[in-house]
Amino acid sequence: MNLTPVWLVATVLLPLLMLLACCVRPWRARMLPWLALGPLPGLLVALFATRDALYVFGNARLPLAFAVDRPGAALLGVASLLWLAGGWYAAAYQAETPARGRFAVCWLMTMTGCLGVFVVADMVTLYGLLGLLTVGTTGLVMQEGTPRAQRAGKIYLSMALLAESLLLAGFVLIVSSAPGNTLLIVDAPAAIVASPWRDAILCLLIAGFGIKAGLVPLHFWIPLAHGAAPVPASAMLSGAVVKASVIGLIRFMPLEHSPWLAGALLAGIGLFGALYAVLVGMTQRHPKTVLAYSSVSQMGVIVALIGMGMASGEGSAGVIAAYYAVNHVLSKGALFMAVGVVADTGRRRLWTVLLPAAVLAVGLGGLPLSGGALTKAVAKSLFGDGLAGTLATLSAIGTTVLMVHFLRCLKTFAATGPDDCAERGLRWPWLAMASASLIVPWALYLMSPRNSLPDALSPYALWAALWPIVIGVVLSWALLRWKRKLPQLPEGDVVVGLSALGSRVSEWAAGLGQGLDAALRQWAIGGSALLVLIGIFAWGLRTLL
Amino acid sequence: MAAMAMTTSGGPLLVAALLLPLGAMWLAFVLGRAYAPRVVAYALPVGVLLALAIIADLLCSGDALVYLLGAWTPPLGIALRADGLSAAMLLTTTVVLSTVAWFAWADFSQAAEAPEARQPLMFWVLLPAVWVALNTVFLANDLFTLYVALELLTFAAVPLVCLEGHPETLRAALRYLLFALLGSVLYLLGAVLLYGAYGTLDIAQLGAQVHPDIATWAAAVLMTVGLLAKTALFPLHLWLPPAHAGAPAAASAMLSALVVKGSFFLVVRLWLDVLPGAMLLEAGQWLAALGAAAILVGNVVALRQRRLKLLIAYSTVAQIGYLFLMFPLAAGLAGMGLPDTPAVTGGLLQAVSHATAKAAMFMAAGLIYSALGHDRIDDLQGVAQQLPMTVMAFALGGIALVGLPPSGGFMAKWLLLSAALTTGQWWWAAVMVIGGLMTASYVFSIVVRTIVAVDPEKMPKMVVPRYREASVLALAAFSFLLGCVALLPVEIVQVGRLSGVMP
Repeated sequence: MNLTPVWLVATVLLPLLMLLACCVRPWRARMLPWLALGPLPGLLVALFATRDALYVFGNARLPLAFAVDRPGAALLGVASLLWLAGGWYAAAYQAETPARGRFAVCWLMTMTGCLGVFVVADMVTLYGLLGLLTVGTTGLVMQEGTPRAQRAGKIYLSMALLAESLLLAGFVLIVSSAPGNTLLIVDAPAAIVASPWRDAILCLLIAGFGIKAGLVPLHFWIPLAHGAAPVPASAMLSGAVVKASVIGLIRFMPLEHSPWLAGALLAGIGLFGALYAVLVGMTQRHPKTVLAYSSVSQMGVIVALIGMGMASGEGSAGVIAAYYAVNHVLSKGALFMAVGVVADTGRRRLWTVLLPAAVLAVGLGGLPLSGGALTKAVAKSLFGDGLAGTLATLSAIGTTVLMVHFLRCLKTFAATGPDDCAERGLRWPWLAMASASLIVPWALYLMSPRNSLPDALSPYALWAALWPIVIGVVLSWALLRWKRKLPQLPEGDVVVGLSALGSRVSEWAAGLGQGLDAALRQWAIGGSALLVLIGIFAWGLRTLL
Repeated sequence: MAAMAMTTSGGPLLVAALLLPLGAMWLAFVLGRAYAPRVVAYALPVGVLLALAIIADLLCSGDALVYLLGAWTPPLGIALRADGLSAAMLLTTTVVLSTVAWFAWADFSQAAEAPEARQPLMFWVLLPAVWVALNTVFLANDLFTLYVALELLTFAAVPLVCLEGHPETLRAALRYLLFALLGSVLYLLGAVLLYGAYGTLDIAQLGAQVHPDIATWAAAVLMTVGLLAKTALFPLHLWLPPAHAGAPAAASAMLSALVVKGSFFLVVRLWLDVLPGAMLLEAGQWLAALGAAAILVGNVVALRQRRLKLLIAYSTVAQIGYLFLMFPLAAGLAGMGLPDTPAVTGGLLQAVSHATAKAAMFMAAGLIYSALGHDRIDDLQGVAQQLPMTVMAFALGGIALVGLPPSGGFMAKWLLLSAALTTGQWWWAAVMVIGGLMTASYVFSIVVRTIVAVDPEKMPKMVVPRYREASVLALAAFSFLLGCVALLPVEIVQVGRLSGVMP
């Protein structure tokens, strides 16, 4: 019997049931150790489910459809692994906090939304799960309750709701132009291409998913959210939550028939963001913020891959971008966990954490034989050798520099006592994720019949991965001598200007609104308004004359 | 019209729907004191069953229920008629009133030995009065009975505003009364003009006979503006915030959720069933423009409020604006030769979703007020620790207002957005999106403030009876899950409609 529909539904249903169980106060207080069990159905889907089989449980107006494609399965698998390890880590990290019940609730909301996005196949359920994801993540960001956390949460929520409003408009346009007004996502790319509003839909979807992916210049919520959230939440945010927008872009963007301009713009914005984030990340001190900027940079590269696929009509760009994202999910999640472990580790044992962290970090830049090198080699085929290829190589060099900077910041983060050691509940998930991020990309690489081990181990491949690392290390050593001259940019860079502008506009709007309301509340004005309305409708209804 | 020639088999249900609340009101007044709440409490579940029976009959027969009083056909006689829109609003009314009665039991009950007090007695008399007035609005099929129903609704609602007897609430109630009477007078003027021109007041017959001429034009203008004054559409909303914020919580819930929907329902009847649809596109733009102004100004002012009940009242002003967005969309679809079902269903779902969500929010605010002794937004820290069900209900109601799945608000937004984009009126889509963002802003800031943890020793223990929180949470959960009604294989709005597609 094919159990695929059972596992697909269970991916959303199990975390949702755990969330409902949290309504009972004693269960809520003891939910923390069980968090790691939530993503198990997701893992089973990634390993065993039939690809591209569609299951619809509702009717035409509310389909409740489930399906998983190749990129979705890959991302779901690694996201489930991260949620598993993250749940284990969070149970130890948050064990003593008084607000752990609230943490568990927000964690489960985020997990339901995050895992669900990979398995749903209709736009209404997708929108609902994105909303749940947003609310849960906001709760996680605001967990510590400090004013900084509240500000970060507010900014995150505003940006996420703005993104979802744009996506809603895009979805409604797609459905209006789709044959039979179908709500299924598989029919969306064809509907977009054939739609009279194709350009508007593409703009809305790119803006909506772009904000959620952290495309510059709307990326500022990422550093703020990571800085304020507790370590396990940051790991999930960077590792799994932003990948929802990646899978959204892969599934909605019509790779084979879209206008060249859309793809080129997307690739351009992505690569610009990749380089910009590296430069700003260099000025930050806190290891979590540096990692956050690195996430912005890597998401830029992933989005650029999708853009290149759209521009060149390459249908496999989706799988390539998903593969690149797989490596990022695992490495970034592990690195965030390392930050938490280092904070509890003394100088004597620091190397046991720093060494694997260094391998993972430089692996993001493309260290030979790491997962990063494999994904970069696969991505190279899409970027080609022109401007895009050069920019991609520059971003690899920049990432290496940024990651060396991260390692230096991490070292300063260590605990004070020389013999301090992080507890088992933190160390083991971190080591598990570190091993996964070394093993899984290789496993996925070798599973594809086109790839072979000798190709990956050939001297040419190794050199192609090595020289950007070497240049990056040399540059970072040079930067070290030059350190005093780097400016101190505030966390979230452009947000300072934007929020000043935003508060000016909202003050003006509020003043206008209140003034209008106060004026209308006077009897004379209100009464005259009645007469004015009679005049307005007398004019408006003149077709009845 | 053949359909109006005789009473249908389900017709007596309509009479029961009017007699039940009327009887409850009379019995409550006569028996007084301790028996009044019980009379209402027994009548309301019967009312819910009655509404469900009407819906079932509607769906089985596929046509409207009609009852001719005294078997006299219109225009001589009075007909009661229930189509899909009426039936849905009937059910919403009974569900919301049942929850309000359950909630208000503690506030307004009285022991049999105590001397009879004005407040509790009048609450239990006015609740069925509002109920019978609304049922008449939904079921009556001629303009004059609708006028009577409107007046009854006003006279039942105004005392609810000043139930507690404070000077400010008396002032607010008088303002409400004056504005409502102005609206009624304009409506009556319009009805008289239509009678003079066509010789009939029956909606079905008017819909068949009406053609463009000066009497129709004048009547349409006067009736529309009069009903807008009663529905508190911007800029005629001046009476609503003080009235709804000053009333006791249960009364505010009834006023915001149901009373304003009565006059809105009449605007829908007038524009969809009496006046010719395709000619109303430009006037519909004006209606929606006022609605858009209501959404923008209402939300902006709500964001600035310091008191919870005033914030919720201004939120009502904004949400009423959404209701009026359906008119140009319905007219646009009719003009393109498409069925206007998406726009009408969207408007109906918005009305039902707002009714349930706003009632839940007002009742939650009432619980917070009774627990804390104040409703200042700045001082709401720690409420979530002590009253988690209440805050949950407020959050769920807020989510339904913002329009996130699976709430009815989301379904309504989706339908209205698709109608807007199909007819090319994308500016209304932008207004809806901006309004949703602003609503999310104040809902979120209130919920966050209540979640802030406060040292339990520093907070006075808040004691609120469990059943009151349960009633509010039940209604909020209902409004949150309302969107799942799309899973039912029914399309209720088109059943029994007098006019749909314009050929």
